[in-house]
Amino acid sequence: MSKRVIHVSGLGKRFHVKGRSPIDLRAGIAENVKRLLSSKGDPFWAVRDVSFEVHEGETLGIVGRNGAGKSTLLKMLSRITYPTAGRFEINGRMSSLLEVGTGFHMELSGRENVYLNGTILGMRRTEVKSKFDEIVAFSGVEEFIDSPVKFYSSGQKVRLAFAVAAHLEPEVLIIDEVLAVGDVEFQRKCLGKMKDVASNGRTVLFVSHNMSAVNSLCERSLLLNKGMVEMMGPTLEVTRRYMSSNHDDPPGERDLSLLPSKQDQAARILAVRITDKAGAVIRHGLVTESFFVQLTYEVYRSGFRPQPVVLLFNSQGEQVFTSFPGMDTEMDYSPGRYTIQLQIPPDLLNADTYHFTLWLVTWLPYKAHQVAENIMSIEILDDIHSPTHPVSNRKLGGVVRPNLTWLRVEG
Amino acid sequence: MNTLTTKTLRTVVDARKWSPVPDVRELFAYRDLFLTLTYRDIRVRYAQTMLGLTWALLQPVATLVVLGLVFGRVMRVDTQGVPYALFAVVGIAVWTYFSFVLKESGGSIIGAQDVVRKIYFPRLIIPLNKATVGLVDLFVALVLMAFLFIHYRVVPTSHALYALLFLGGVMVSALGVGIWISALTIRFRDLQHVVPFLVQFGLFATPVAYPASVAVNTLPEYLQYFYFLNPMAGLIEGFRWSLLGVGEWNGLCTLSVLSGLFLFVTGLFYFRSVERTIADLV
Repeated sequence: MSKRVIHVSGLGKRFHVKGRSPIDLRAGIAENVKRLLSSKGDPFWAVRDVSFEVHEGETLGIVGRNGAGKSTLLKMLSRITYPTAGRFEINGRMSSLLEVGTGFHMELSGRENVYLNGTILGMRRTEVKSKFDEIVAFSGVEEFIDSPVKFYSSGQKVRLAFAVAAHLEPEVLIIDEVLAVGDVEFQRKCLGKMKDVASNGRTVLFVSHNMSAVNSLCERSLLLNKGMVEMMGPTLEVTRRYMSSNHDDPPGERDLSLLPSKQDQAARILAVRITDKAGAVIRHGLVTESFFVQLTYEVYRSGFRPQPVVLLFNSQGEQVFTSFPGMDTEMDYSPGRYTIQLQIPPDLLNADTYHFTLWLVTWLPYKAHQVAENIMSIEILDDIHSPTHPVSNRKLGGVVRPNLTWLRVEG
Repeated sequence: MNTLTTKTLRTVVDARKWSPVPDVRELFAYRDLFLTLTYRDIRVRYAQTMLGLTWALLQPVATLVVLGLVFGRVMRVDTQGVPYALFAVVGIAVWTYFSFVLKESGGSIIGAQDVVRKIYFPRLIIPLNKATVGLVDLFVALVLMAFLFIHYRVVPTSHALYALLFLGGVMVSALGVGIWISALTIRFRDLQHVVPFLVQFGLFATPVAYPASVAVNTLPEYLQYFYFLNPMAGLIEGFRWSLLGVGEWNGLCTLSVLSGLFLFVTGLFYFRSVERTIADLV
């Protein structure tokens, strides 16, 4: 068994809802008097009785809804706030990255900010000095390194800030939602760098809302709910539980009948559902399983040939495909209500978050009856830790994830 | 509590074990951060202003001119034969530093909230940093003072080296009061607005423009004690005595020194007691 690096037991943080922060003298005095006279305000446990262990080289994902206590837990572990109950122990040099570019000062040059940010993140000045050229090269802002950061574009600022963070060499790394900033390219670089960190035997705690990121980085995850550990185990099981209980996510079913339509009154889509093979509404699917997009639409007037069109976009906004019923699909264009479904085969989509745009059109002569953009989304997960996964523990790159045939040719 | 061992770093945090004793060793471990933040503040303060360091000179000079007119020309304060400008500049140099630290400490932790909410470091670095940044202004004011010594061809007394001791006392007291103020403003934000007022009032309640003997001769006894509870009262008087040989060192001055030390030590402990709640309150 590898070394235990993080040991958390019974950790909790309580806030007093009333009088949590008297911010002026009068309220402060009044608060103290009140406290003498009566009991304290309603206690509220942001995190309660959380215990877990993380071993060397492991990457633990922490997921949960907004307000589940993820940030409070992370802040306690990075020592920003002090726990009300319990204890924890971290063995090894720790860095926490709750934000990129903490302490950046706009008036200072890129060079000065590298030193500033580096030392804020816990590096020695000598350490920053020895890695300086590497950091600047990674950021790609060499030319501007001596001009004030306020003249940088926001992209350049983020790149410089991330370059510093990427060159931290802690034994334990705590990361919160830093993937939320920056462009797609940056997010990829970020994920790649984090994988390097984890594979170098370092221990990582990773909080994110991005389920495919958690899934591809972490073998085990912890699900927080109302400040308590709801579940801890293999990431895929945890993310499935999280998603099936998560109501902040767009539902797998949507009623479009009340949506105001700027288009003509000849036909319109009434509802859309994403279902699995058994017909149950789902919010997430697996790379290796098929799923269905079910559309209900109504034709009000004859004389048109309305056809539903499904456009699929990945999280980077790239269009993956456009699909509509072909010649061999029997269609009825007379007024009435119809339900039609599109099957997305297994081994087509890679792990990602996908967004649907729906059209209802008559092709010839062309007439758009309805355009509903970004109406629905689905999260496709890849069980990279499954023994049947082609490359264990690694996400395969690419927009699609087909299962292609390879044949050996003699000669 | 943080335990630093030589080879591997081990962090242990226990809700029930909070040491009320300020952790000096940890502070030292974060010296690089302290130095970088101080460098940042000094750079930001003087970079990109047209006059740069001249600003640090302008403030004591302006104070000197005003006090010189009011106390030197109009009221003709008894300076025991020392040219008034020289007499006043000694006090002004010290007071400028003290007031700078007080004013900067007021908003220091709220001003650093972006960093405080995202990263752990001993929070004491923040007021310590402000007290250090002020040294630049102090140095400039001391240069002005030296210039006036030369201008009036006055040679400092034979016991001038004591001045260093008093300067040390000034720094410790300023830091102490700064720590108190920055810790209190976390809970009581109004204090930010009270501090500039205190500083303004303090200039006249401290023997900057006039010798302490004026206060001793005119105030009733109980108010004299009160007057000398201000650490700057005795320290400025002592600083002036060691350089110019005017004024006298008495028990009341010792009270000032003790008051400064007391504020420093209690400040450290009070700061420690609120330190762990800072990120929750800012």
